[in-house]
Amino acid sequence: MSAQAGTGTYSPAAAAGDKRREKREELRRHLAEDANWPRADGRSFHDCRPAFMQTGPTTAASGSAYAEFGKTKVIVSVFGPRESKKAMLYSDVGRLNCNVSYTTFATPVRGQGADNKEYSSMLHKALEGAVMLHTFPKTTVDVFALVLESGGSDLPIIISCASLALADAGIMMYDLVTSVSVSCFGKNIIIDPTSDEEAWQDGSLVVAFMPARKEITQLTLTGEWSDGKITNAVELCMDACSKLGDILRDRLKDTATLTSE
Amino acid sequence: MVGLSEGEKHFIRGGIAQGIRTDGRRRLQFRALSVETGVIPQANGSARVRLGATEIIASVKAELGKPNILHPDKGKVSIFVDCSPTAEPTFEGRGSEELSTELSVALQRCLLGGKSGAGAAIDLSSLIIVEGKVCWDLYIDGLVVSSDGNLLDALAAAIKVALSNTGIPKVNVSLSAASDEEPEVDVSNEEFLQFDTSSVPVIVTLTKVGQHYIVDATSEEESQMSSAVSVSVNRNGQVCGLTKRGGAGLDPSVIFDMISVAKHVSQQFIAHLDSKISAAEAAAE
Amino acid sequence: MRDLHLSLNQTQRVRLEAALHELQSLAPAAASAAAVTVADTIPVNQEDNILKGHGTSDQDGEVVATLCGVVERVNKLVYVRTLRARYKPEVGDIIVGRIIEIAPKRWRLEINFSQDAVLMLSSMNLPDGIQRRRTAVDELNMRSIFEENDVICAEVRGFQHDGSLHLQARSEKYGKLERGQLLTVPPYLVKRRKQHFHNLAQYDVDLILGCNGFIWVGQHVVVGEKTKTTEDQQKSSADAENFTPLETRKHICRLANAVRVLSALGFTLTVELIIETAEASVTSNVEVNNMLGAEFYVQTAEREAKRRADLLRKKNGGR
Repeated sequence: MSAQAGTGTYSPAAAAGDKRREKREELRRHLAEDANWPRADGRSFHDCRPAFMQTGPTTAASGSAYAEFGKTKVIVSVFGPRESKKAMLYSDVGRLNCNVSYTTFATPVRGQGADNKEYSSMLHKALEGAVMLHTFPKTTVDVFALVLESGGSDLPIIISCASLALADAGIMMYDLVTSVSVSCFGKNIIIDPTSDEEAWQDGSLVVAFMPARKEITQLTLTGEWSDGKITNAVELCMDACSKLGDILRDRLKDTATLTSE
Repeated sequence: MVGLSEGEKHFIRGGIAQGIRTDGRRRLQFRALSVETGVIPQANGSARVRLGATEIIASVKAELGKPNILHPDKGKVSIFVDCSPTAEPTFEGRGSEELSTELSVALQRCLLGGKSGAGAAIDLSSLIIVEGKVCWDLYIDGLVVSSDGNLLDALAAAIKVALSNTGIPKVNVSLSAASDEEPEVDVSNEEFLQFDTSSVPVIVTLTKVGQHYIVDATSEEESQMSSAVSVSVNRNGQVCGLTKRGGAGLDPSVIFDMISVAKHVSQQFIAHLDSKISAAEAAAE
Repeated sequence: MRDLHLSLNQTQRVRLEAALHELQSLAPAAASAAAVTVADTIPVNQEDNILKGHGTSDQDGEVVATLCGVVERVNKLVYVRTLRARYKPEVGDIIVGRIIEIAPKRWRLEINFSQDAVLMLSSMNLPDGIQRRRTAVDELNMRSIFEENDVICAEVRGFQHDGSLHLQARSEKYGKLERGQLLTVPPYLVKRRKQHFHNLAQYDVDLILGCNGFIWVGQHVVVGEKTKTTEDQQKSSADAENFTPLETRKHICRLANAVRVLSALGFTLTVELIIETAEASVTSNVEVNNMLGAEFYVQTAEREAKRRADLLRKKNGGR
């Protein structure tokens, strides 16, 4: 149908600050010498996978989106605003209800879909700062995410896909939320890890960012990090998130032009 | 959690802005901390920590098990948090599931480090008995008995105290077993190895209300927060885990500032907690 | 003696025990003699027609207590009064409560009682002060007077047939409470007095001792400002500059901590005692938040023991 639903990559800029450029050159030299850390799919440390995103795969939902980043495939449907089940509780603001589930064939070992409840609450936290809850009082917006195949960096992709679906559903938001994760191996930071790289990481950092407002809605850090490393990694992620935000916006404009034709 | 009226919320916000909270504490001051060890005799290690009105009981049990196929030279640690209905009637049945999962995951993130095991608080390779066949499984359980805010900090402190109280029994492996059979393991009842907890981190949660950060929020203050950042710092001042909770977005510079404030506060807290642990252990003997 | 879990060192423990022992010995001896627990037989003269009251039951012709407490006799009525009762409301009590629900033509309040209390729309002054019939528009605008989770003070008007309370808040001194903190203490610590509203002018603080165990400590509000509508108040409370001044806030925190310490020790709360405790903390240079610490706790117990001993001596000396 739409040949425009193409790919875009959101690899962050190589030249974003002199100090960082120097550090990165040094890193690359280090890695070029160090044969132990090659990336399996031929990307360099700061390259992200090509992003394919599309809106509208589910017709029954108010809004939906599909994302495919390398081997990770996620589909998110948004229903609402609908009447709250607990209608007797008066509340000035609406409710956002998030649910993440894995299909049984998503992981190499059948039925290994772990982290469901954790991902649901993390998705909720990442989105609630961006959704204008006071515009739909006494009602609920349901966000259902389904992971069709898990190929690494699942949660960030779920978050980005969910904000695309919310925008598609016409829910008022302060800004789109995009998310990127980095893994650290020793001194090296690699962005957008695959599931193999995630299995052996020394630490990880997931950032959910609102590009236009320049605010971080969620930040999760695992492993031991020094201050400088944290700063580097966060700035790297914010840069990648901004570029991903642009890709999302392109996708939404495509949909808008298609429907207005 | 009881609701708060607008006037009370305004009062709390004013207090935080002026540096006097409702119980008189300054912004970066913890509540009174009390620590007891060895409260559960049948566990390998246990502790009971009170931070103001929040009360946590943590227990550590070690059992023999098989190591993971992917990591044959490492033991296993699993952390689980349960919120008891005695703390809140809403915690009965499935009401506390979301909160328990969130707390368990946050603690696992801070204590277990990255997937490859680097930066972990507990050295998993010290838990192995026979490589590939027998290892120690550590089950760390936290129980929230009474909840008045700041559960994560209190849980991390309780786990730290429980681990310092833990004794892993000495094991004698009979060498005569063939290599493909299950080896005979004799668990001694007398000799124990104490755990080394110098690298176990503490978690400091900074709650942002208005323009200011506070440490150790009560549940009333938590209802007022715009966002909260929980930072886990170990004794060397390294950040071992970070979770941002709460709805509003934060400017990145604010997050970096909170990290440095958390580091500063955590050093004092670690010193205070260590002195309490030694006092509790001295009292137990 | 709950709520404050303090780690006392050895000397503090000894001092506290000594103070508590002295307090116990000062208590009137008759009270302990009449104390009964569940299933104790109550000594009763069998010839009189004794009326068995609350907390007693008949077992094999004997009067047996079903509660733990003190036996009271009034003429021919014998009943057991519990010491740590749940709040027992009476008409005319001043109560502080929190609104939990807005129902047709009434507000439902939580007041630390077995049931929720009801405040009818007709028992409340309208914001414009005119006395008129409540119309449907008034009903729809109930939220502008009181919202959910608001703290208000009111008076008990009467009981409904199912035992729940009816409240009224028609006077100027009743109404919404803001700019302060609400404390919960066991209700038996607040005895009925003539005055429950206390304006501590030297601190610029209002102290309201609700008979149901809810105590409000807050900035002094001029009587008559309490019935503003929610919009007016939202405008004023959104102002950051409208925060309570620092000095007043310190006094509020000191008084609140004094109430917390006294309720943890189980002493009856009176205004004089609260003010005295707060003043003592100032004179002994205890920092506001250290009032909840072990040292001040023990000092307060000792001070109270001394005060009661002095009182008893004066009474005995006066006779």
